[in-house]
Amino acid sequence: ETGSGTRKRKSRWADEEPKQAIQLPDFMGGIEFDPEIQALNSRLLEISRMLSSGLPLDDRPEGARSPSPEPIYDNMGIRINTREFRARERLNKERQEIIAQIIKRNPAFKPPADYRPPKLHK
Amino acid sequence: QRFMLLQPPSSVATKVVCLTQVVTADELRDDTEYDDILEDMRLEGEKFGALVNVIIPRPRPDGELAPGVGKVFLEYADTDGSTKARTGLNGRKFGGNQVVAVFYPEDKFGQRDYEG
Repeated sequence: ETGSGTRKRKSRWADEEPKQAIQLPDFMGGIEFDPEIQALNSRLLEISRMLSSGLPLDDRPEGARSPSPEPIYDNMGIRINTREFRARERLNKERQEIIAQIIKRNPAFKPPADYRPPKLHK
Repeated sequence: QRFMLLQPPSSVATKVVCLTQVVTADELRDDTEYDDILEDMRLEGEKFGALVNVIIPRPRPDGELAPGVGKVFLEYADTDGSTKARTGLNGRKFGGNQVVAVFYPEDKFGQRDYEG
């Protein structure tokens, strides 16, 4: 048809926004807002902050502590059965578990450099 | 006061969306092309909300450039429509030109001041 009455022509608007092509896939955009992931992430941050702060990790008052056992030292001569040491171990363990959980839910998550995947055998 | 001046005018939502870098004076001189562009704008603009008015300043018949030539103004019934249009049209391509969409002051638009 070449008649000028009802012209059927193509709009000058480009069909689609090129911006949409580079949008993240749904599973990436959605997972950040997953409340479970958010809780894990914030706990992970909290633990990392506690571990790197250098502040005492066990802040129970003197009276609330049970009597100290005989000291045990590792092969470097560092005492390992202190409250501080156990608190640090506990946080490190929780940290590794949280990272493992985040990875399970979001395989694209990039774990911190010092993360070691849990060993399958002891 | 200083902070107010630093705010880009386009960040304040108005009912009027101004598309810049969209059309050339030459395209607008041609009546058929002008009508086509007007229709394209109306059809696309309606997708975002209640479109009240489409203004496309044309060059004067004597060849002089009138203020606002090259811009397209879309007036909406509410800022909801204009906000969607601004977001949806900004960065889109119209006839090969990458469209920049900004809010336009309503008072200026009401006074037919398209220079802004």
